[in-house]
Amino acid sequence: MSTISFDDVGQDLRRIMISGQLDAPGAKAIASQLLEFASGPRKAVVVDLSGVRFLASVGIGALIASAKAVSGRGGKMALVVDRGSTVMMSLEATGVDQLIPVFGRSADAEKAALA
Amino acid sequence: MPEQAKLGGVPSIYELPGIADGAEMRRASEWLDAACRENSVPSRQADRLVLCLHEVLANVIAHGGKRTQPIALRLEVNPDPSLCEASVTVSDGGRAFDPLAVPKRARPASLDEAPTSGMGLEIIRGCSDLLRYRHEGERNHLTFGMRWKP
Repeated sequence: MSTISFDDVGQDLRRIMISGQLDAPGAKAIASQLLEFASGPRKAVVVDLSGVRFLASVGIGALIASAKAVSGRGGKMALVVDRGSTVMMSLEATGVDQLIPVFGRSADAEKAALA
Repeated sequence: MPEQAKLGGVPSIYELPGIADGAEMRRASEWLDAACRENSVPSRQADRLVLCLHEVLANVIAHGGKRTQPIALRLEVNPDPSLCEASVTVSDGGRAFDPLAVPKRARPASLDEAPTSGMGLEIIRGCSDLLRYRHEGERNHLTFGMRWKP
C-alpha cells in the first residue's frame, strides 16, 4: 500500500514523503491527505516520490491538485523523483514534468521551492 | 480460468474474476510482473507494461459499461535476437472503444490549465512502443507492447 508523512523545516518549507504504489487504490488512499498537507501554511512544498515505485494517472491528478493548491496561495511545489524510474516516465508521458519542477535530489527541489 | 498457455511457470493468460476493482487490478499487475520476470523481460520494460496495463484496466472499468466481464489478458514475448518485443492484449466485452481514434490532447501550457483526471491515455501512448486495437466478436482487443534491443 502507500504511506504519506511530512515534516516542516523552519517557517517556510514542508517536506512531504510518499512511498509505495500510487496505483488507483494507493493514490486514492493518500490523495486527500496529500492535498491537506500541501495546503498547510508553508509556502514551499517538496513532495518526495523517490520511495514510489509506480505512479498511475490517478496519482498524477492528486499531485496536480496539490500543486494548484500551493500555487493558489502564492507558494511553489517541487518534486523529488529518481531519474529513469517509471514514476519519471509517467510524469514525462503526461507533460507534468514541465508544469511541476522535478529534481533528482531533495536539496535541489527544496532550493527551487524556496526560490 | 481459460486454457493456460505457459510461459515458463506462469500462465501467459490471465482472467480478471468477479467484479473488477482496484484489488483485482493490483492482482492483474502482479501476474504481469511475475510473467515478465519468468520470461526475462527487462525490469524497465516490465514496469512500463504494468503501468500501461493499469491504465487500460482503469479505462475499461470506468468506461466499458456493465458488460465488460470477463476481462482477459494475454502476454506474448518474442525474444528476437535483433529486437525483442513483449506485448499484452486486453480483451473485454464492454462498449466498443478505440483509444487510437481519440485525438491527442494538447499539452497544458500552465499548471492552471492542467486537468486532474483523464491522463491515462497519455500514459498508455507515451509509455508504449506499439499500440493496436480491433473490435472482434463483440469484444475490444487492445494490444500494447514494448521493444528493446537484447
